[in-house]
Amino acid sequence: MSLRSEWTKILAFVFKNLTITRGNVFSFFEILFWPTVGLLSVGLLVKYLQVGPDMTAFILIGVISMSVVQVCQIDIAYVLLYDVWGKCIKHEFIAPVNSVHLILGSWLIGICRSGLIFTLLALFSSRAFHFDFLKPGIGALSLFLVGLFLTSALVGITVCILVLTFGHKAEVAAWSLVSLMLLICGIYYPISMLPAPIMAVAKLIPQTYFLEYFRSFYGFSSDLSGFLARGYGLALIYLGLAWVGLELVIKKAKRTGMLIKLSE
Amino acid sequence: MAQAVSVRDLWKSFGSGWLWGTRNEVLRGIDLDIEGGSIFGILGPNGAGKTTFLSILCTLLIPDRGQIRVLGMDVIKRGSQIRERINISSGNANFLWSLTVRQNLTFYAMLYGLRGRDRRKRVDEAIALFALQSCADTPFDQLSTGMKQRLALAKSMLNDPEILFLDEPTVGLDPQVSAKIRDQIRGIQRESGITIVLTTHNMAEAEYLCDRIAFLKEGRILTVGTAHELKRKVRLGDVITIDYEGDLAPVQMEKLPGIIDFSMSDGSCQFVVDSATKRMSVILQGLWGAGVSVKEVKTSETNLEEVFIEFAKRMDEDPCLCI
Repeated sequence: MSLRSEWTKILAFVFKNLTITRGNVFSFFEILFWPTVGLLSVGLLVKYLQVGPDMTAFILIGVISMSVVQVCQIDIAYVLLYDVWGKCIKHEFIAPVNSVHLILGSWLIGICRSGLIFTLLALFSSRAFHFDFLKPGIGALSLFLVGLFLTSALVGITVCILVLTFGHKAEVAAWSLVSLMLLICGIYYPISMLPAPIMAVAKLIPQTYFLEYFRSFYGFSSDLSGFLARGYGLALIYLGLAWVGLELVIKKAKRTGMLIKLSE
Repeated sequence: MAQAVSVRDLWKSFGSGWLWGTRNEVLRGIDLDIEGGSIFGILGPNGAGKTTFLSILCTLLIPDRGQIRVLGMDVIKRGSQIRERINISSGNANFLWSLTVRQNLTFYAMLYGLRGRDRRKRVDEAIALFALQSCADTPFDQLSTGMKQRLALAKSMLNDPEILFLDEPTVGLDPQVSAKIRDQIRGIQRESGITIVLTTHNMAEAEYLCDRIAFLKEGRILTVGTAHELKRKVRLGDVITIDYEGDLAPVQMEKLPGIIDFSMSDGSCQFVVDSATKRMSVILQGLWGAGVSVKEVKTSETNLEEVFIEFAKRMDEDPCLCI
């Protein structure tokens, strides 16, 4: 097992996602159009409501971070969904690759795409709404983004687990899981507004802490503390669990014949 | 030649429903050895368990129980190492629909860790081997069924496999394309000497391609052998019917080589032989030697389909008769 050969196997999934989406009009909408429209519409609403610059920052941080997570996780979800739609998933599972190659490769392309989207949206919001994303500094911004990428990996792996367990029926998770997070983890409003049971759930989501961390540089106080430690801690614990879950689900799919069913 | 595949007491079932669903036994105690460097056919009707069996050998499915070794390695413990050295091509081939032939092959070559010039060379070779040059830049969803099947075969040769599994490689193809694919499979085996394990329900295809054949029905191996051996086992060889004049002693005829069965009635005798073309001259010489004059000779060949039907019938009468 040479490192270069392992790296090539990871890059195979970069190649796959990149080649499929290149020149695909739906991918353009998913990756660029909807995030831009989302930011523009929310930004204009904020302007119309004449909220102050601090509230504008609060909302734009939420909207842009959501787009980053959505674009990054969809690449991980699509790495399996493309095969499910093409009925060719078995070819990958009879090749000498494992979940590490699959997830790392698709995560890598997701990070590149969502990084690009973040840059575009940050530049756009700076021009259109005078919002300075660099105010917290490059270091804090990088920690925030890494947190978002970890959250994306978590969502993407969860979608893969659902697809391998329930097949086609679980496709919808690729788009709906992020929307569910939008409700809970304080994208448009602080989580203190939520009813106590839902707030308890919000405190279990790493994204909540990364948002609170980044917003703290814009003068927002929070009932939560230790943002980074808790956010990264939770993200890493969940990632470990999700990885174990994915391995178990692959094993189960090999017992139940799900991989063959999804190839027919 | 070393054994490529060794299977002992393989059982596999699939459940239906969540909690109290029933279990459908698909493979029931299979024992099988496949010699390296040969083409081995697994024949059986739809639902016999052929694809399930092949999927277990390819590490795509985990068996309920049994000891399965591919290239001397346990399929459960060393699945990853086995996957480096095998490949599979299935009928009704499906690939990433928007990727071209070349892009699909490049992707799968990368999954085997092939990179740079080596990868480009291997992809080009696979395209040339299966005459895919004219559609190398055509997206998969615009290919004809025959071309899709060729792509599947090209993909299966990318890692230079030691064992190639072919699951119904000509299903859904017209007779002309099927014949071409069969010739290509035979050509590959002759040139590279790899082991090919193929499933099919096309008996003529199995007879044309396979060195040895296993009949699978309802998850059990009915019998294993060469086409000739199988015909002999059910005493369903080729039939030679001869009309003659003179006195013929049956004992003399039964002792001739290659005779599976012999019967005679008034002025006519019937030989069931392993191969009509091989045994014809011996039989005629035997008849002439016995002082009989031959009036008319008719031959009819038994095909594997008849043999399979006979085995299946016997299994239905007595399920313990397997192998």
